[in-house]
Amino acid sequence: MAELWFALLCFMLTMFIVLDGWDIGAGALHLAVAKTDAERRQVIAAIGPLWSWHEVWLLAAGGTFLLAFPRLMAVAFAGFYLALWMVLWSFILRGISIEVGGHINDTLWRSAWDFVFTASNLLLAILFGTALGNVIRGVPLDETGRFSMSLFTDFRATGRVGILDWYTLSVAVFATMLLVAHGATYLRLKTVGPVHERSERLARQVWLIAAVLFVVVSIETDFVRPELYQAMLTRPLAWLPVVVLVVAAWAVWTGLRGNDEKRAFAGSCGVIVGLLGGAAASLFPVVLHSTLGSEHSLTAYTGATSERGLRVALIWWPVAVVLALTYFFVIMRIYAGKVRPAQDTQGY
Amino acid sequence: MDDAAFWHRLQFAFTVTYHYLFPQLTMGLAWFLVFWKWRALRTGDERYATAARFWARIFGLNFAVGVVTGIPMEFQFGTNWAGFSAYAGGVIGQTLAMEGMFAFLLESGFVGVLVWGERRLGPRLHFLAALGVALGSWLSGYFILVTNAFMQHPVGHATDASGALVIADLPSYLLNEWALIQFAHNQAAALVTGTFVITAVGAFYALRGDHIEQARMYLRHGTAVGLVAAILVAFPTGDAQAKIVARHQEPALAAMEGRFETGPRADITLIGQPNVRERRLDNPIRVPGMLSFLAYGTFHADVRGLDAFPEDTWPPNIEPLYYAFHVMAGLGTIFIGLMLLANLQRLRGHLESGRPLLWVFMLAFPFPFIANTAGWMTTELGRQPWLVYGLFRTNQGFSAVVSSGDVLFTLIGMAGLYFVLGLLYLYLVGREVAHGPGGAESTSPYGESVEAPVG
Repeated sequence: MAELWFALLCFMLTMFIVLDGWDIGAGALHLAVAKTDAERRQVIAAIGPLWSWHEVWLLAAGGTFLLAFPRLMAVAFAGFYLALWMVLWSFILRGISIEVGGHINDTLWRSAWDFVFTASNLLLAILFGTALGNVIRGVPLDETGRFSMSLFTDFRATGRVGILDWYTLSVAVFATMLLVAHGATYLRLKTVGPVHERSERLARQVWLIAAVLFVVVSIETDFVRPELYQAMLTRPLAWLPVVVLVVAAWAVWTGLRGNDEKRAFAGSCGVIVGLLGGAAASLFPVVLHSTLGSEHSLTAYTGATSERGLRVALIWWPVAVVLALTYFFVIMRIYAGKVRPAQDTQGY
Repeated sequence: MDDAAFWHRLQFAFTVTYHYLFPQLTMGLAWFLVFWKWRALRTGDERYATAARFWARIFGLNFAVGVVTGIPMEFQFGTNWAGFSAYAGGVIGQTLAMEGMFAFLLESGFVGVLVWGERRLGPRLHFLAALGVALGSWLSGYFILVTNAFMQHPVGHATDASGALVIADLPSYLLNEWALIQFAHNQAAALVTGTFVITAVGAFYALRGDHIEQARMYLRHGTAVGLVAAILVAFPTGDAQAKIVARHQEPALAAMEGRFETGPRADITLIGQPNVRERRLDNPIRVPGMLSFLAYGTFHADVRGLDAFPEDTWPPNIEPLYYAFHVMAGLGTIFIGLMLLANLQRLRGHLESGRPLLWVFMLAFPFPFIANTAGWMTTELGRQPWLVYGLFRTNQGFSAVVSSGDVLFTLIGMAGLYFVLGLLYLYLVGREVAHGPGGAESTSPYGESVEAPVG
């Protein structure tokens, strides 16, 4: 049962990163791909009506985490205290800048919110990358079964680590590039005109950078957690995400070289699914790895709630996911099609 | 109590109080939107469509602030209340996850469509979007109230080998008697907020002589629903709530009423100041026997005072609890009176022309927010010193690894951010109200970029 809920939780988090990832990536690129006010409104309209829906997947993932692994959620969230609050602040600023930016047609008002929008999305990308880096590297869990981490210590990836060190920072840079590439691929699909052209150019460049960084981070990971690769080799289930990753990377490559915007975007989603799936499959069953000694690590088995609780939740949870995926398809249909820059500049 | 516990409590109290200012209006307006959309669909009357569009814009702003202030709430269970999450997460996680999965994904998915998608969807689907949003927002309220009800009156749980709570009986947890009563009480109160806001905007336009047709509609619909909702808040829901508190949280009831001594024929205090050191009420004005009647149904019933309970089960903040309860009950009574008066005027056909009453309604809209906040303070202060009533104390629940300094840092940050957010919200809603109903429907919230060709 714990295995299943670990998989379901990873599914929720992956949904969130894929969906909100394109908002975050497009947002981080906002100032780079859109130069005029009309272009900037176009970028925001491309992600506009759905940001809160995407963000709610994280909330639902948080609820699922608490439901299935209450002890792990408690230890992890308290341990990452300041980092999580930075995520929350960035979310608040991102949401406000989308919602209030367009309301007033004034140059200063809009440039201020455009800046807040870009900065908060960039920060979100860096923070989620750092979070992933921390989960892979591990946290300083001790014999009390808890940890409390400074933002930084000596920047080494062993022992009493901080949230930032050479490894988590490089994962953060890689993840930021990946989300930016994802966002650019989305904007290429979703827009026309100059924003489309710039996004296409950027997508080609940033995907290359992301691919190089992927190799770098993969080698680094072998230094920090060599056992992960061994786990991956011995688990056939971990091969599936690898296959997804390879196929998706091919789709991105061909989609970007040719003119198949949909293929490139589907590939982009697939790359994220493959990466996160591969990481999850090789990390399992450890959810929080201890850098102070693997005997302190917390696993999905030790952190799960009762078998009964997991079983009961399995009655209603699939219903909820089916409903949510139905909304997903309805909403995607409603908002299908490209966003065009409008001729009028009067605001609404 | 140790300092860290204080700051954790203050931060949660602040963020949740601030957050709930928004959902109460969302839930209060949601069914009005459904009703107006439905009338517009059935009659083809443009006035209803105009009203729905205008209020959907305000709804959208309100919803956005509700989302951004709501996400920190979910996280705080883990960041600030790790002890509580580890202890009770196996139970309350069920409803928190349900809230996200069933309610919030529905509500947030369709709110954008509701506000900006009228042309894209056509009237029928657009009505369905309004229905989805209303359903989502009320469902969300229910799951949160089940979670709270478990903290007030735990049912359906068991204890596992490590001492943590796990779910034993999901249906009885979901249908907790406390949750049903609290939901009815809370939703009626949210409707009161919605009706007072709608009536205030109607009064504002009526006094200015602007948008007369719309003003008349807001005044009529607002006061008609408002009267029903205001009465429902007091009876039967408020009454049932008081009785269930009397049954399961006796020390809370005693503290709410500032009752220090046990005895029959308990009075209710209309006004007075609790003096906890001397254990008495100063300057009380009382209605004899009324508390016995309200709590137990007869004027002779014995109502136990705080002296009947060990001091470590008393709510630690008796004074704010006492005032919160009295502010809520007093305002609730005034709301019924005001709405009665408005409905009498409506029947006589004087509602839109009686300027003094319009002035009162224009200025009255903050008070339901105050009453709702006071109501929640009553519930939550009355629950103390327990986090899960009778099982788990508040000072066991906070995150032990997080220092007071860290909490104060984030509390200060949130206070600053929420201050700015409040200013922006008031300014933008003020702008919508000043701009008024009417004009073409909006197709994009994000400035002039129009999505897809529009006819």
